[in-house]
Amino acid sequence: MKKPVWLLAALLLAGPALAKDEFHLYNWNNYIAPETIKRFEDFCKCTVVQSYYSSNEELLAKLAAGAKGYDMLVPTANAVDALIKGKRLMPIDKSQLPNLKNIDPRYLDTPFDPGNKFSVPYAMSTTIIGYNDVKMKELGLPTDTWAVIFDPKYLEKVKGRVTVLDDENELFAAALKYLGYSANDTDEKHWKEAQALINKAKPYWAAFNASSYIKELTVGNIWLVHGYSNDIFQANLDAQAAKRPFKILQGMPKEGAVLAVDNMVIPKDAQRSDLALKFMNFMLEGKNSSELTNLIGSGNPNMDAVKYIKPEILKNPAIFPNKEVAAKLEQLRDLTAAQRRLRSRMWTEIKAGH
Amino acid sequence: MARGRGRGLGRWLVSGPPIAYLIVFFAVPSLIMVLASFRTPGEFGGLAPLYEDGHLDLNLESYLRFFEELVYARIFVKSVWYALLTTLFSLGLAYPLAALIARSSKRYRDLLLLLVILPFWSNFLIRIYAWMIILGPNAALAKTVNGVLAWFGHGPVPLLFSSFAVLVCLVYVSLPFMVLPLYANLEKHDPALLEAAQDLGASAWQRFWRITFPLSLPGVYAGAALVFIPALGIFAIPDILGGPEDSLIGNVIKQQFLETRDWPFGSVLSIVLTVAALAIAGLAAWVARGNLGTPSSRREERA
Amino acid sequence: MPKARGPRFGLWLAAGAGYAFLYVPLAIVVVYSFNDSRLNAEWVGFTLDWYRTLFGDSDMIAAAGNSLLIATSASLVSTVLGTAAGVAMYRYPTRLLSFLVLAPIAIPEILMGVSLLIFFVLVNFTLGLVSVALAHIAFCIGFVAIVVRARLAGMDESLTEAARDCGATPWNAFRYVTLPLIMPGVIAGALMAFTLSIDDFVITFFTAGAGTVTLPLQIYSMIKIAVTPEVNAVSSLLMLLTLALIIIASRVSPTVLRSE
Repeated sequence: MKKPVWLLAALLLAGPALAKDEFHLYNWNNYIAPETIKRFEDFCKCTVVQSYYSSNEELLAKLAAGAKGYDMLVPTANAVDALIKGKRLMPIDKSQLPNLKNIDPRYLDTPFDPGNKFSVPYAMSTTIIGYNDVKMKELGLPTDTWAVIFDPKYLEKVKGRVTVLDDENELFAAALKYLGYSANDTDEKHWKEAQALINKAKPYWAAFNASSYIKELTVGNIWLVHGYSNDIFQANLDAQAAKRPFKILQGMPKEGAVLAVDNMVIPKDAQRSDLALKFMNFMLEGKNSSELTNLIGSGNPNMDAVKYIKPEILKNPAIFPNKEVAAKLEQLRDLTAAQRRLRSRMWTEIKAGH
Repeated sequence: MARGRGRGLGRWLVSGPPIAYLIVFFAVPSLIMVLASFRTPGEFGGLAPLYEDGHLDLNLESYLRFFEELVYARIFVKSVWYALLTTLFSLGLAYPLAALIARSSKRYRDLLLLLVILPFWSNFLIRIYAWMIILGPNAALAKTVNGVLAWFGHGPVPLLFSSFAVLVCLVYVSLPFMVLPLYANLEKHDPALLEAAQDLGASAWQRFWRITFPLSLPGVYAGAALVFIPALGIFAIPDILGGPEDSLIGNVIKQQFLETRDWPFGSVLSIVLTVAALAIAGLAAWVARGNLGTPSSRREERA
Repeated sequence: MPKARGPRFGLWLAAGAGYAFLYVPLAIVVVYSFNDSRLNAEWVGFTLDWYRTLFGDSDMIAAAGNSLLIATSASLVSTVLGTAAGVAMYRYPTRLLSFLVLAPIAIPEILMGVSLLIFFVLVNFTLGLVSVALAHIAFCIGFVAIVVRARLAGMDESLTEAARDCGATPWNAFRYVTLPLIMPGVIAGALMAFTLSIDDFVITFFTAGAGTVTLPLQIYSMIKIAVTPEVNAVSSLLMLLTLALIIIASRVSPTVLRSE
């Protein structure tokens, strides 16, 4: 009875030896346009094998436990921070990336990867406010400040119709920004203030949710969310397609917000780093980079892509913020182990309730 | 005499393969994580190196944290409560189902059984999303409930993003794991016993409570174990449709491994959870030892 | 005198409520596979587009195929091992066996997933479909064992003893006496194992290799963007397919599955 299993095992283990040029890309789902993949496969004469993750944390946990076999990852800045510090990435041979000059210098030379030794920007999003425009006008609520998420005097008008992200780093960052601190502030006193602010607002929130909040917003069960700009953009497209009597709009808070830049990186043990570099250079071309933005409304750090992006997306200040707003956006840094532990305890206390 | 023949080779052939498999693919990997609970968390995630400056870096810090920071124990108690409620409600819902299937004629029995498990071959996420549609504020159910409440002067309550939603879905996903063991037990009940009782004048309730239920106890305990124990560790349902304070210990454990990247503490919480679950199961088995119908308990009765 | 033959009306009613509870969400799942909206949130209109998308989506179909393959092999192996464990728990109970059987059910999936990944990496086992199947078997054995053991509870050992006294080998005594008696428990266990395997996400996430995608992995990765009705479509078809396969299997080998 065990024989078929061994046969299957032998076939599966022999599989990789028989495969031709394969490029293993570990990416977010729906984070690359199918046409782009196809064009790359023609260009490099290889097969792109995609696997997906849906959070940076899942990616980090899997890598920390020793998973290998991936040639490229697309983590967000704070995860890149953790990977670099944990010495898990392969340095990039920039001589193979002539298209790197297309990237807006604002997004290069980050504090966690000075000189871009390990990472290259891919796409970005901001974590902002999403809202149902009809409801917010009806209730007379502002949509350009975090106060509408944290201040009970506004919240009581939308009680039970607001969700916030179920992400301790994102929510603390928003609270810290609202209180006037940096999103990367690590002062325990400031964290306690943020925790108190969150606890005061919590009774009015419907849920901490990062997975199903967008569809509730789109159908009108939820009227106000703390969410990702890409998701909110998509929600509006879906709402219009379903002919809902309202629009889902993005609100950029004047206190500032978190900017999440996703980067292409190569894991230390990648088998085909040559293909990875080819892919990087390919995605640094304006046309290829623009396809994702046109597909999901993601921000784009590539200056050359601008001419290929749809005008209505270019005009959107939440996707392409002007200099004034951009100055208030911050990328999150990774925390030290002790800080993570403290924040985790505070987060658990928030979610345990009384 | 016959029992003596059961020892030796037969015993190893039957117990050997499962024990061996579970030692290799469960016990050994788990020991890695049990060891991890005594280690220091890695600065950037995972675990710190085992040997620090030439000596073994093992400590009890993570265990001490669990006993010092009481919030974890609080959430743990809440999870036990949810799991208990889930078990009771699924038992109530599953018993008639299992009884119906067990008493049906052979023609329909297999089909009815398959019909119980068929929904669970669809994907978990979309089943939960279906519940979000059913419990949504604009759906019929919520409107009815809130209408009734309004009639009594009470404000509207949310059905979605609440403990109610979490419990309903917990019962929903647990149901087949209560039905199947119950069915396996009820199927062998001899209808002649019930007919005899009926002939002697027993009412339907008496027949159930005095004959059927006691005989079905092994099935009840099996179903309860297969519902209660996994329910303790669940996290996906509160994540998707729980309210702001519906976090369970499963969510905290997941958070330790993913966001906080504190594997030693995650291991400590997991070990506490596992030990508690096994202790509760062991306690229940000990309390019920007369009813489990094992050879040892029957030997006691004969003695 | 009225005979208690067949289930009574009250029982039908209560059981009917149970079936309704099970099937209202499922009806929504199937109906929404024809929903003309990307979101699984409200009904917009009828369309067959999602089925068309599904047939062109080789990734999703491959993932479904992988899930079926893993679930079938994992449930077969875990049913065999689990039945053995259940019989052993009944006849030769030891604390070691009880612990090894119950602990995988109790242990949080994320711990088991991470520890299995570390283990596989440590022994240099290539991650892929096989590693996932091995992991699934580990947590399914317990479910089968507990049901089989509960089925054995109160069973009359004298039948087996009589068979042995008449000269039957232990294997024949098992095959012709014990096994038919415990068959409903074995089937119940197998069904549970299959269900657990085909829908598992956490353990599969950690033990799958690069490029190994099962249906839950594919679907969960969509959670942040949108779980489109294509997922409803693939689920509906998968349910139909599995049901058909089981019905065919039961027709082909009726003696195996009937509990006579």
